[in-house]
Amino acid sequence: MIKNYFKIAWRNLMKHKVFSLINIIGLTIGLSASFVIGLMVYYDATFDDFHKDGDRIYRVVTDLISPEDTFSISGVTLALEDEIKDDSNFETVGSFYIERPSKVENRELGSQFKWPNFVIFTDANYFKIFNYTFLAGDETNILSHPNSVILTENRAADYFPNTVPSDIIGKTLVYNDSLNVTVTGIVENFKERTDFVFEEFIAKPLLLQTRLRENFLNLNWNNTNDASQLFVKVASNADVSAIQNRLDNLAAAHQDEDSKKYGDEQKFGLQPLSDIHFNEKYGIYDWTKGQANKSLLTNLALVAVFLLLLGCINFINLNTAQASQRAKEIGIRKTLGSSRKQLISQFMGETFLLVLISALLSVLLSKWLINVFSDFVPDGLNFELFKSPLIVVSAIVLLIIVTFLSGFYPALILSKFNTVSVLKNHLAVGDKKVKLRKFLTIFQFTIAQIFIIATLLVGKQINFLLTTDMGFKTDAIISVYSPRGEREVSKKELYAEKLRAIPEIKEISIGGTPPASISTNSTSLSYNNGEKEVNTDLQFIFGDINYSKVFELDILAGRSIRNDTVKELVINETCRKKLGFKSPEEAVGKIVLLGGENVPIVGVMADFFQRSLKSNIKPMAFRGDWNRPDWSQFQGLHLALQNESSEGLKTTLSKIENAYKSVYTEIDDYRVEFLDESIQNFYNRERKMSKLLNWATGLSILISCLGLLGLVIYTTNRRVKEIGVRKVLGASLFQINTILCKEFLILVAIAFVIAAPIAWYGINNWLQDFAYKTSIGFWVFLVSGLAMIFFALIVISVKTLQAANANPVDSLRSE
Amino acid sequence: MIQITDLEKFYKTEEVQTIALNKLSFNVKEGEFVAIMGPSGCGKSTLLNILGLLDDPDGGSFMFNGTEVAGYNERKRSELRKHNIGFVFQSFNLIDELTVFENVELPLIYTGVKPAERKKQVEAVLEKMQIMHRRNHFPQQLSGGQQQRVAVARAVVNNPKLILADEPTGNLDSTNGNEVMDLLIDLNEAGTTIIMVTHSEHDAKYSHRIIRMLDGQKVTENILA
Repeated sequence: MIKNYFKIAWRNLMKHKVFSLINIIGLTIGLSASFVIGLMVYYDATFDDFHKDGDRIYRVVTDLISPEDTFSISGVTLALEDEIKDDSNFETVGSFYIERPSKVENRELGSQFKWPNFVIFTDANYFKIFNYTFLAGDETNILSHPNSVILTENRAADYFPNTVPSDIIGKTLVYNDSLNVTVTGIVENFKERTDFVFEEFIAKPLLLQTRLRENFLNLNWNNTNDASQLFVKVASNADVSAIQNRLDNLAAAHQDEDSKKYGDEQKFGLQPLSDIHFNEKYGIYDWTKGQANKSLLTNLALVAVFLLLLGCINFINLNTAQASQRAKEIGIRKTLGSSRKQLISQFMGETFLLVLISALLSVLLSKWLINVFSDFVPDGLNFELFKSPLIVVSAIVLLIIVTFLSGFYPALILSKFNTVSVLKNHLAVGDKKVKLRKFLTIFQFTIAQIFIIATLLVGKQINFLLTTDMGFKTDAIISVYSPRGEREVSKKELYAEKLRAIPEIKEISIGGTPPASISTNSTSLSYNNGEKEVNTDLQFIFGDINYSKVFELDILAGRSIRNDTVKELVINETCRKKLGFKSPEEAVGKIVLLGGENVPIVGVMADFFQRSLKSNIKPMAFRGDWNRPDWSQFQGLHLALQNESSEGLKTTLSKIENAYKSVYTEIDDYRVEFLDESIQNFYNRERKMSKLLNWATGLSILISCLGLLGLVIYTTNRRVKEIGVRKVLGASLFQINTILCKEFLILVAIAFVIAAPIAWYGINNWLQDFAYKTSIGFWVFLVSGLAMIFFALIVISVKTLQAANANPVDSLRSE
Repeated sequence: MIQITDLEKFYKTEEVQTIALNKLSFNVKEGEFVAIMGPSGCGKSTLLNILGLLDDPDGGSFMFNGTEVAGYNERKRSELRKHNIGFVFQSFNLIDELTVFENVELPLIYTGVKPAERKKQVEAVLEKMQIMHRRNHFPQQLSGGQQQRVAVARAVVNNPKLILADEPTGNLDSTNGNEVMDLLIDLNEAGTTIIMVTHSEHDAKYSHRIIRMLDGQKVTENILA
């Protein structure tokens, strides 16, 4: 019987090629989107799910809460570990410190490696929490010797090429020119997906021989750093709320006087292992890999669901519309003894066949989609994942769900036909079915319309973000950073001297980060105006006397700094207002208290955006580098270039790089950034979202219009006689087309009325993420409404014009 | 085999109620060939639909092989129908998407006959109806007479006790019509009960008994043999 069903399903498919094609295209697009997005969700959700007792592993993290802001850090103070390591709620407490050595040498081979990444200082407890497979070395005495290191096999292959793991044990590596360290173990790199990307595990005591010595000798409860990571594996019977209480109490007990005064507090939290891959607040260890973004995945999943729904709706609409054509077959089958259940199974079988064809096509299409969406798709995601049993089962379940969503209602309608009526050709098209079709069509166009409006508005906001004046010069400015760890100002000055010989460079400044960047440096400032004390957090930008010229900072009163080693501040307008000065002039000459020192305000500059337009402008000051003897804040050179052609720019850039090579020996660490690109990068997520929306819009319009085309073909065919009569009576082509289009355009118009407020609400919500936003213009709605009607009209007219043009004699004769 | 007593059927629209069958009563014995005649709208087809368990009466009794079936639900009716009743329609009602073989095979599929047995039975009946050479053709590739032979083959493939024929020659020329009537006679002689609705006096003469109807009631009954 099943063979019979499939046979007739296949013949039906071939008989109604256009409708089948419309159904297959719609379902294929929806299924492809679902497959790809499903793979992405699976890929991200299975990070680090292989660790033994992973549900008992937590990272201890810190939130620094001030009255103005909360600042989240994935690390904790170095002091915390000693306080909690004996708590019986923990099975294991393990910490590590992330620190890139400046150099690692294998002197035996004469090879050296600068700034190797993913190096941690840790101890045996780390290996108790995370189970590595040892390829060589003593597993029982892990890092027990103070000068020992464990390497992953990948790192070992870099340092000791063509050497088997067991031969590497006992060999020496030299870190930072002087630290001799023995390799005591080689471990396998994790084969599964992981955020634990570390390659080199050095025994913790060696930290005391690095620049960090002081930090470890004088543990400070108020010094917290992302590099200092603490992991715990809680006991199987642990009381997690008791642990949290203990952490809260510890934080409260170690709050210092200043924090109490300013209302600052720190809070320790337990971050589950499974949360690390998703929680951007605390981050992961390899930023280049990109973290999973829950809201992006949710949005993607929604897009997939909507596309799939649109495909299902096409199926329902076309099949119920065509139902009368199959009525006779149903009547005969019923007469010959088919039960309703058998008929429903037959139609569900037909639907499944169609869904299956779409699914096979989707697998092919998915490969292509993964390329299109490469911005969203992580590098490690590939079709191998399709072999996972979970994915296979999910895909089958999805196909069954789609089959039910699409096929069940039409099957119910078809199987319900009254045998006597259909055999007599007395089949009335139910009013209810027509209403349902209209409702579903409106639903489709509502989704398409929402996507159009959202695309236009998101595009408008992105355009606003990228074109709004940041308040300083952003074009034709590049920053060249000194090698990592290189803090010598004299070398920067030498480099600047060399660059002055290049005529294409207009201005040169040595300084910290550009006025707008993702990194911040801030301290608390207080000012007593005689009546009351005002406290505020103050962010800094550091630079020499040319900094304000390179970035064309607008000085409103007073002057810029005169010397980069003199203690003086140029505050911004927001800071001026916060401190209570009525005018910029009033602020000039006043003394503020900054980290226990009196510092004069010498100037007031206009506000500019310090980050993306997502954040508000905060109190900020431009200052010199007066702590230089201890720690220079200058990281590189900022160059304002003459405007020139791209060919000229290339030459200038190579001159700048050559000058760098003549000053610095670490030529692999040459880093140059274009300020306008860095600013664009603030909005990477928005640009991704915009790309996603463009696709979702295009595809939803395509599926909806195909569905509409199907309905138009069907309806027009039914009205052939009416069109013929009207033509005979003298109706013009335009009049007939208007009559035929009106019915459908009304649906599109209703969809617009429903979509507009929903889209407005959604976009308005999204815009709340931005401190500065574009207006939601009326014209956007107008344009998107007209665009949708335009698309619909084209689709409808394809068929209606053909019908209206037909010779009425033919249609009337056939009656 | 069939006993109907005071059978009633009404059709209602919003404003009008039409009486299709008005307290109709008659019996049909096993092995009989009964022709039902009457003008359009007299209730012949309604009667045939009720006898074929495709439709429900609104009143009266319908005994089939000694069992009251008037109140049967769709599932029971379907069950009874597929094992006992074969249909032949004026417009053949073959499924366009299925071949001759597949069309004839359908009733056997619904009664759960195994594929090998189905093949045997279908081929046997196609031979008998002399349409075997067309087994792989689709209905639209056949003449009207051939299509009706396929329809008869389909009606008898299950060896039903009762065949209901609704103007079986209505769409055929006289030669093809006579051939179909000969087929029905052969079946009847082999023991199958036949009830045939027809407008044709010529066809009605093949039967044992003619029941004439008007306005949902039986007017006369002529016994021919």
